[in-house]
Amino acid sequence: MDKAGIDTYAHPSIKFKIDKFIIIVVTVCIAAALVFFMLFPIGTILKMSFVKEGGFTLENYLKYFQNPRISRSLYNSFYVSIITMVITTILAFFYAYALQRTTIRGKGFFYIIAFMPLIAPSIMQALALIFLFGRNGLITAHFLKISWSIYGATGIIASEVLYCFPHAVVILYTTLSAVDTRLDEAAQSLGASSLKVFWKVTVPAAKYGLVSAAALTFNLTITDFGNPVVIGGDYNVLATEIFSQVTNLYRFDLGATISVILLVPSVCAFLINYYISKRGFALISGAARPFLQPSRTFKKWGFTIYCGLIAFAIMLVFATVIMGSFVKVWPYDWTLTLKHFHFPSLGGYASIWTSFKVSMAVGLLGAFSTLIAGYIVEKKRPFGVEFLYLLSVMPAAIPGLVMGLGYILAFNEPYYFFYGTPWIIVICVVICNFTLGTLSSVANLKNIDPSVEEAAISLGADSVRTFIKVIFPLSMVAFVQNFIYFFMRAMTTISAVIFLVTATIHLAAIEIIQLDNDGWTASANAMTTCIIAIVVGMLLVLRLLAGTRGFAGFGGATSAPSG
Amino acid sequence: MSKDLKLENLTKVFGNLVAVNRVNLEIREGEFVCLLGPSGCGKTTILRMITGFETPTEGKVIYFGKVINNLMPQQRDFGIIFQSYALFPNMNVQENIAFGLKMRRVPKKTLRERVNEMLDLVGLYDWRENYPAQLSGGQQQRVALARALAPNPSVLLLDEPLSALDAKIRVRLRAVIKRLQQELGITMIYVTHDQEEALAIADRVVVMELGKIKQEGSPLEIYKFPKSSFVADFVGTSNFFKGKRQRDKVQFKDWEFLVPGIESMSTEEIYLAVRPEKVEVMRPGETTEGLERSNLTHGRIEVITFLGAVVRLLISMDGEEIICDVVEKDFELKNLNRGDSVDLYFPPEAFLAYPSSSTEEEHASPE
Repeated sequence: MDKAGIDTYAHPSIKFKIDKFIIIVVTVCIAAALVFFMLFPIGTILKMSFVKEGGFTLENYLKYFQNPRISRSLYNSFYVSIITMVITTILAFFYAYALQRTTIRGKGFFYIIAFMPLIAPSIMQALALIFLFGRNGLITAHFLKISWSIYGATGIIASEVLYCFPHAVVILYTTLSAVDTRLDEAAQSLGASSLKVFWKVTVPAAKYGLVSAAALTFNLTITDFGNPVVIGGDYNVLATEIFSQVTNLYRFDLGATISVILLVPSVCAFLINYYISKRGFALISGAARPFLQPSRTFKKWGFTIYCGLIAFAIMLVFATVIMGSFVKVWPYDWTLTLKHFHFPSLGGYASIWTSFKVSMAVGLLGAFSTLIAGYIVEKKRPFGVEFLYLLSVMPAAIPGLVMGLGYILAFNEPYYFFYGTPWIIVICVVICNFTLGTLSSVANLKNIDPSVEEAAISLGADSVRTFIKVIFPLSMVAFVQNFIYFFMRAMTTISAVIFLVTATIHLAAIEIIQLDNDGWTASANAMTTCIIAIVVGMLLVLRLLAGTRGFAGFGGATSAPSG
Repeated sequence: MSKDLKLENLTKVFGNLVAVNRVNLEIREGEFVCLLGPSGCGKTTILRMITGFETPTEGKVIYFGKVINNLMPQQRDFGIIFQSYALFPNMNVQENIAFGLKMRRVPKKTLRERVNEMLDLVGLYDWRENYPAQLSGGQQQRVALARALAPNPSVLLLDEPLSALDAKIRVRLRAVIKRLQQELGITMIYVTHDQEEALAIADRVVVMELGKIKQEGSPLEIYKFPKSSFVADFVGTSNFFKGKRQRDKVQFKDWEFLVPGIESMSTEEIYLAVRPEKVEVMRPGETTEGLERSNLTHGRIEVITFLGAVVRLLISMDGEEIICDVVEKDFELKNLNRGDSVDLYFPPEAFLAYPSSSTEEEHASPE
């Protein structure tokens, strides 16, 4: 097809031919890993719930709905989740409003306090509430001397509100920072009263954030296991029912069936959140931060008291758990002691050490894999990238407990060499938290000027070296943030790993449940305290590292190194 | 065979937008070529196809006698300068410059010598330990130049390299680039939307519009003999009249301008263009002997803008606004003021005439 004269084509050398394939190979590997470690276990659960003796059946579902005690768990789950959703969203909205739209003092303090629950397992709230309002609670039995106790739906709702609060605040805080305050001012200048402005302008403008926060809270509550198992008592929810069917009755088929039932609302909540956050992004623009009018004294005091009360509740939870692990007999004998730290359970300190090692592995593997996944999704966009993106965001829709059950059902075969090793725990936790890691990697990579990568390529760097020399150093901050996130999740998660611990592999978070179950409540608190200490320690270490030059040079144009 | 670069029928289609439409261009070794055009004319897309970041939909990029369409960007012997500098923020100046050499596994000693040589070339030796964030925009772009030149590429591609800088530094860095090109004898392809920059810097200017080349030639040719009204308008400033042709005259409103050499034109409707510096401004009563009477008009000075060596006048000619540039010395001599009535003279040979329908034809979209 060439005219005479030009028939010589230059062909890429072998080295660069291989380079072209690297991205494809890596993409396929990540996609394959997600299919194998996410879709396959979930598929196994579906199969177990629908198939009996080789044929399709709804027998399991009939059994579920015919047994009134078991099927009540569905109603119970919805009941506590909806109430938690409403309370948390409202509380978090006004809290975020106070931080973003008023001129109260101590915003930094309130901000940090709001996020404290993230560093502890989702069992701490229940433990604290039992110490405060339980049968021997400090407030109920000791101060008020009444026989009422918090076990059951009330306890679950109270602890879940405390547990979900930071998650809802994150979303609403961002939403309220994006909504243009000039709208409020415009409405005010047109003569609308403050209250009217609030209802007619501020709230409608934040509606996406409100729906998103509500959906997330609902999802967190309905899939949580730690709090209901401790404080629920006889009040069974879907998550605890799965656990008792599998662990106590060895009814894997029913466990799988309830998992599928739990999967439905969880996926719905995820889809709502996914759809909303996509639309909501349009609102968050790079507009300059507007000036905030000083709030009136009345408003200022009102919001200060409001935030103070919530911050007090959160701190009270922490104080109770930490105090509870150091006093002899809560709430009767306040002598300080370390005896609760002599863990009477099988795991003991070994479990903390295992948890730490597992969490380090999860942190590194999670941060690396999500950075690479984000890099492919955001920068490389090979053929079929939409499929990889879909796989990457899917884990957020799957409750950890369901994933964990899927793992033992799918991988309990001798040829899956990783089964029964800590690695299966590492993989499960990474997969369960893959979505947020990938999304934050993508958000960070969006900030890297595409020309920088092209400059590296034009100077002769292949894909691998471009990634190592340029992309990775520029993503250092996001990498460390993702490491912390994965580390924290691994230290504190209960639901994802409860089915994966074995007679020889113990994890600190699971020990809490076992200690509590065996009546060693104070030691359960002590174990929680240990986890909190490790997470806080890791945060401090990384903060110190980030302060040194090692990380300072990587902030791009925003932070100039001093050297 | 010399290291010439040739574009053959180069075409790039994005969805249903034809960004580059059958462009043919030959760039000789050591030549400084400017691709000039408004944003969206396809000039950057051409550059990206040469670099290998975009694959041509059709056509060929030929370098050194070989079609290089399939070559990865890493294998093309081209350096690139980006508008955003694109320095590696995690590396200091000398590490940035050394990057391309490291990728080519140049021995350490040679590498250090070459980096120092480059630092001297762009005059940043004292800044070698600094990070990009600590440098000014102009300095950053000089680092980018050194970085791109360090591996000794035979072609340097510059994508609006000075657009992000302020006017003074832009002019100074323009001179640095021109000097480097002449000293190193390197081929440069320079993309810009700034016509002044293109005229000042290039050996050859290629004017583009809507994915097509409208005209190519030396800066002087492009300025003096624009082949279309688009080029006349885009390159430099022009006054335009759209009138009717009657033999060798063009009727525009109440005036009839004598324009030699238009009898053979195909259309009746004609665009006339005239550069501001070609229009003569005279005080009423100045001698008009020997001037073509029909090309003599009257007007009133509306706005005076002092541009330094020249003074730009906006003159209303019966409601028609005419831009005239007068040399500062003449301006003083003639003692012109706002509101003054003046005589205007359009020398017949100063007019550039374009058939008005030709522009429609040129704007027609590709099949």
